[in-house]
Amino acid sequence: MLRHSIPQFDSYQICASLFTDVENTRELRTEVASMPFAMIDASCIGSLEQLFCAVYKAILESTYNRLRTKNLNSECILSLSPTSNIGEAFKRFGIKEDSKDILCLTVVNNTESIPDTLFDDVKGQQIELSDENLESRINLDLIKKVR
Amino acid sequence: MVNLNQYPPKNGRNYYLALGLEGSANKLGVGIVKHPLLPKHADSDLSHHCEMEILSNVRDTYVTPPGEGFLPRDTARHHRNWAVRLVRLALKEAGISDPSELDTICFTKGPGMGAPLHSVVVMARTLSVMWDVPLVGVNHCVGHIEMGREITKAENPVVLYVSGGNTQVIAYSENCYRIFGETLDIAIGNCLDRFARTLRIPNEPSPGYNIEQLAYKCKNKDCLVELPYTVKGMDLSMSGILGYVDSLAKDLFNKNTKNKLLFDSQTGQQLVTVEDLCYSLQENLFAMLVEITERAMAHVNSNQVLIVGGVGCNVRLQEMMASMCRDRSNGQVHATDERFCIDNGVMIAQAGLLQFRMGNTINDLAETVVTQKFRTDEVYVAWRE
Amino acid sequence: MSQEVIDQIAAYLTSNIPIVPISQGAEAVVFTTNVHPYEPINAKTSPNDQSTKTKYVIKYRPHKKYRHPSIDRALTKHRTLGESKILAKLSQLPGLHVPKLIATDVYNGCIWIEFLGEDLPDSFGFSNLKNYLWMHASDPYCDDVKKTLIKVGHQIGLLHWNDYCHGDLTTSNVVLHQDNGHWEPYLIDFGLGSTSTLVEDKGVDLYVLERAIISTHSRFAAKYNEWIMQGFRSVYEDEGKKGQQKMKDILKRFEEVRLRGRKRSMLG
Repeated sequence: MLRHSIPQFDSYQICASLFTDVENTRELRTEVASMPFAMIDASCIGSLEQLFCAVYKAILESTYNRLRTKNLNSECILSLSPTSNIGEAFKRFGIKEDSKDILCLTVVNNTESIPDTLFDDVKGQQIELSDENLESRINLDLIKKVR
Repeated sequence: MVNLNQYPPKNGRNYYLALGLEGSANKLGVGIVKHPLLPKHADSDLSHHCEMEILSNVRDTYVTPPGEGFLPRDTARHHRNWAVRLVRLALKEAGISDPSELDTICFTKGPGMGAPLHSVVVMARTLSVMWDVPLVGVNHCVGHIEMGREITKAENPVVLYVSGGNTQVIAYSENCYRIFGETLDIAIGNCLDRFARTLRIPNEPSPGYNIEQLAYKCKNKDCLVELPYTVKGMDLSMSGILGYVDSLAKDLFNKNTKNKLLFDSQTGQQLVTVEDLCYSLQENLFAMLVEITERAMAHVNSNQVLIVGGVGCNVRLQEMMASMCRDRSNGQVHATDERFCIDNGVMIAQAGLLQFRMGNTINDLAETVVTQKFRTDEVYVAWRE
Repeated sequence: MSQEVIDQIAAYLTSNIPIVPISQGAEAVVFTTNVHPYEPINAKTSPNDQSTKTKYVIKYRPHKKYRHPSIDRALTKHRTLGESKILAKLSQLPGLHVPKLIATDVYNGCIWIEFLGEDLPDSFGFSNLKNYLWMHASDPYCDDVKKTLIKVGHQIGLLHWNDYCHGDLTTSNVVLHQDNGHWEPYLIDFGLGSTSTLVEDKGVDLYVLERAIISTHSRFAAKYNEWIMQGFRSVYEDEGKKGQQKMKDILKRFEEVRLRGRKRSMLG
């Protein structure tokens, strides 16, 4: 699990994990809305920079009360998209029926604690969340469709 | 170094006398100034330290009824009617019994409205021939600048020149007052005057002053009516803002309740008053002016600002400029004074006398043609380094 | 620089982000920092490497007290966003060198961009075009200068060919960055940048740069401007007939702008 905080907004903590060969994607998809974390299709993410850029933006919007979705986790998914179309963003960056590589991410206030078991519902193999692992799993054709 | 003493005063006197005639717009001004002949000016860059003395400064303004502007023909007639009276009064106040004592007669060569300029230059030529005194043609803007420098002793300020006909940000460089930014269409004073005409508020004492007073009465200063903000690099444009705020004012007067900005769409209640419009217009226009002035200051590395021209009398503009300067390290505003803000004869005499002392006089009456278009940067500023 | 402005930005960047002021313009104050706004430190390089090498630039548009708060907010947001957008667009154009945009904070008027350039030897200062030309003043027409200036012209040509204008081209707004031992010019500060298809805007851009070179490097200006224009023309010449025509229009307007000295003649 990668723990990080944005220097400018250190009252938030960020936790993220990368899973591969996830078996219960279909099941997870039905519960997307109720999960306490965001699930991102890892084949759309090429680097930590790309991921945390979106997190930065989401926290920024939240700080100035400009959230366009219902919480910080979902705002992170929206912030990955270059447009402000929420449906489009979830379709592109959210998990799909056949997603095997899933990136789980949560942003919470420092006052809350993040249990190590947070992502336990995801049935897959956890691997290190690193630039190398992301790069090797990216689907450039999918990314190129994002406009 | 500049030698301001190369042309000594008439009759072996130890001081210069100059008469200035100004009439490029609706004000006719006559002023007489005196410069002592000082050794320090023989080899110096002290053109802002002339120790000028104002012997007289008289003026008459042509005022039109509310809702009307001044037309060139009528303004020219006003100037013709008053010229002789004002010159006589000025000489009397200055205590000059023999006008041929004057070293030079200075007149506004431009820019301005053609007909009024013409009336004044005819007067200047007549006096010159009658008294045998050489003429000097002065650029109106340079008149404002030199008067401002002399009074405030600001050595090298960035000049914001805001009046009915001009909106320019000027800085000195290499014997020329370079224009850094200016309006691309109408001048700020013109914009305010025309809005005052739409509102049908009086032209007495001046339309801009009345707008300023209305703006003070605005009760809703937190909620600004949003207007276009049209700074383009160093330049600005104001006709679009005027057109828009004019249309708002008209909707207000015609009780056009369809305009949701002005009237509540449900109750039809009026949301915006004339005072609000005046306030918003001023805030918007002045923010633009201060911004381009700040750009010019950063560009030439200056920390002094001099505001000249009629709109410079506006207290709110002065406040904003002062606030901007405070935020720059030890900036100073040389705000403004009626003496060099509102058109007058003294400023023409001051700039003209500097020109005279550098030997820039008119030898042939054929050179006294006035021009409506006369840019500030066309003048060769011989009296500065 | 006003301490108040520095305090403002330091307060909201928090003590986690140490900043060093490097320049102040009319509109913005520029700082450097060695903290990335969001990337985890161990992402690409080791922490030691990070602190010594990587620098980021923060361009901050301070709150202007003289103007009404609602005008100020709207303008800051509009301009910060505008500059970020133009930088983002430009970085996608092949061949064009602009600094990479890292983050944008429209609410505080901040943009983060990558740091380019270095300090020139013999205390000639930062490696912008101005200092670089000063550094070579003893051998003003050497091959290195010629190559660099042609590249500068090429960059401006690319910018204009893609219908963008810089708005404030000066020798301090061109930064030279070493790339495999060669100086590569990067255009910076798009605060006045815009998209424009007008030949007027392009002509003015070229004129402003020409003036800047004449005023700061007057003795060698003729040759310098010639090399810049050589690079500029090469972009259009590569674009066939259409390019030739467009170039002719721009150069004609450039000539006109030069004659009238940027400004229109106008009524007093």
